[in-house]
Amino acid sequence: MGNQIIMFISQIFNGLKIGSVYSLVALGYTMVYGIIRLINFAHGDFIMVGSYVLMLTIPAIVAFGLPAWVAVIPAILMCVAVGVIVERAAYKPVREKGNSMTALITAIAMSLLLENGSQAIFGADYQTVPTIIQIPTLSIGKLKIDGATIITIVLGVIIMVALQLFVTYTKQGKAMRAVSEDKEASILMGINVNSTITLTFAIGSGLAAVASLMYCVSYPQVSPMMGAMLGLKAFVAAVLGGIGSIPGAMVGGLVIGVVESLTKAYIGTITGGIITSAFSDAIVFGILIIVLLVKPSGLMGEPETEKV
Amino acid sequence: MNAKFSAKCVALIAAGAMSMSLAACSGGSMDDSSSSNGSAANSDTITLGSVTTNSGTAAAYGEAEVAGFKLAVDEINAKGGINGKKVKLESMDDKGDATEASNAFNKLAGDNSVLGVVGPTISSTTAAVAPLADQSKLPAIAPAATSDSIETGGYMFRTCFKDSYQGEIAAKFAAETLKVKKVAVLYGTGDPYSSGVGKAFAAAAKKAGLDVVAEENSSSADDTEYSSQLQKIQAAGAEFLYAPYYYSVAGPYIIPQARSVGYKGYVMGPDGYDGLKMTDDKSLYNKVLYTTHYSPDDTSNAKVQDFIKSYKKANKNADPNTFTALGYDSVYMMKQAIEKAGKNATRESVRNAIAGMSFEGVTGNFTLDKKGSPKKSVIVLELKDGKPQYKTTIQPSK
Repeated sequence: MGNQIIMFISQIFNGLKIGSVYSLVALGYTMVYGIIRLINFAHGDFIMVGSYVLMLTIPAIVAFGLPAWVAVIPAILMCVAVGVIVERAAYKPVREKGNSMTALITAIAMSLLLENGSQAIFGADYQTVPTIIQIPTLSIGKLKIDGATIITIVLGVIIMVALQLFVTYTKQGKAMRAVSEDKEASILMGINVNSTITLTFAIGSGLAAVASLMYCVSYPQVSPMMGAMLGLKAFVAAVLGGIGSIPGAMVGGLVIGVVESLTKAYIGTITGGIITSAFSDAIVFGILIIVLLVKPSGLMGEPETEKV
Repeated sequence: MNAKFSAKCVALIAAGAMSMSLAACSGGSMDDSSSSNGSAANSDTITLGSVTTNSGTAAAYGEAEVAGFKLAVDEINAKGGINGKKVKLESMDDKGDATEASNAFNKLAGDNSVLGVVGPTISSTTAAVAPLADQSKLPAIAPAATSDSIETGGYMFRTCFKDSYQGEIAAKFAAETLKVKKVAVLYGTGDPYSSGVGKAFAAAAKKAGLDVVAEENSSSADDTEYSSQLQKIQAAGAEFLYAPYYYSVAGPYIIPQARSVGYKGYVMGPDGYDGLKMTDDKSLYNKVLYTTHYSPDDTSNAKVQDFIKSYKKANKNADPNTFTALGYDSVYMMKQAIEKAGKNATRESVRNAIAGMSFEGVTGNFTLDKKGSPKKSVIVLELKDGKPQYKTTIQPSK
């Protein structure tokens, strides 16, 4: 019995390991959606960009005698640059002329452009990221907890709190909330809507770089398509938590990770082998459908009120 | 090889293939050994067709195979040809595309001087060509198309083992060489290669009397997180884990995650482990094994060193790879069959000579089964400090 409980707790931590990465990615989704109501489908690919920067800069950073995680700084700079360029070159013109549907399609196009562009530059093959940090495994009795999981969760919580404080108390944060409430009225109040949106994108993209760091600590390999599935799962996490809600993204990510892990671990036993662990992805995306049907605003999102 | 597996080896053997492609391109139609015989229907020559992928993502495979074909043809001609006739190789590029492969094969089928075809290169093109071979009654030997789904045994045969055969051999290896008792298997249900090999292993392991303590799945063969399944495998007390995934997943994800949940036993995989992507800590990869077609360090087969020597001499000291070896064997299989069919060999008599033939080659000694696939010896490699080393050769069960 004791072993069963340890097994169960281990499986929860296995879920938190990937879930904490989903959380970091979902924070970026929710940040952008919360302000401009755009689901930035290229967000997963920003993570890919960040991971390539990490892979390429870590050897140089280590050669300078700095710890490898410092590579997150060039990664943030690069992701912010890519994010702002994508916003200015693709989303802004579309936002001014089209509707939310055209914006969504543009986001998908940007995602494909980034994936295929990096495939053209780096080739389709997988490349290994050098070791970033050796985090010791925590042992509590028989229970083993991956150190990277804890750091990722702590980092996620810090970012979540910082974002929440930023959005609530700073002038820029207030401008963001105002733009999200009513874009036209914000212009009348003298808020520079375009620069506010650009700032939102810069923050969202910077978060992608941080997420790519923690992703590469746990899963040290990059490839042009790596962001696609990760982005989708994190999107489900953001919707589950309530897209637009910062704490919701955090909770949603962890829940998705744990659901995935427990599905893999127990569904075969529970259903007598009819449904196997191979169904874990189907169950994750099943959650998306159920949330959209039952509670479209998600666990922590505010109910959508139609703005006239 | 299926498409995904194709993509993987490209980088792996690109370096070797680069030098080969130079050699291959300069030869043009590859028939420089019989340059005096221009006409196709010349009765002094035997024409072999080849359909391979010489451009696109799998080009490195095709180029390596062509290098193997060319070496074998040159050797045969230097020793007086087949039945006293010189051999001419008619090479076609299928660009890795099923339609192009079909067109190329049909063109060869329409040329009455062509007695047999070696190729195609990858599984998808081979699957498209197999029914055409039956229709046109032109025998073909695919060097490296491993997919189980290819219809062979009519006029299409292969030199390589089938994917699922590796699962059977791994079970035999676990039971007889490693002498483990409790085994586990993990495979991706969304991928025919991973699930085909995994299921074959599970079935063979049960048959061999091994205790399959866990049979776990993942949704796809390119997931990143396997800790949940691995934790169960570890808790079930497995000593040996068979995880048929690709080099890009087994290397950075499955093996380190298995070690991180405390699993210390063997991890074994199929030829998809070739060129495994490893993290910096190479000690995680001890007790990792995989099966493959050919090893330059194979000491149990005298033909291997002769082949390497001969290849190096003809190719500016470059090393041959698996595809070269399989291509080389394919041409010699044709030679053996045409010799058996005799002076008046026809396509049909050559086909009958290939069916059920016994052959001794660089990639092992084997007999073709009723379905046209070899039951052959398989090489097992073991990683030592991240480097694959020749472990043993597993002979097929009787």
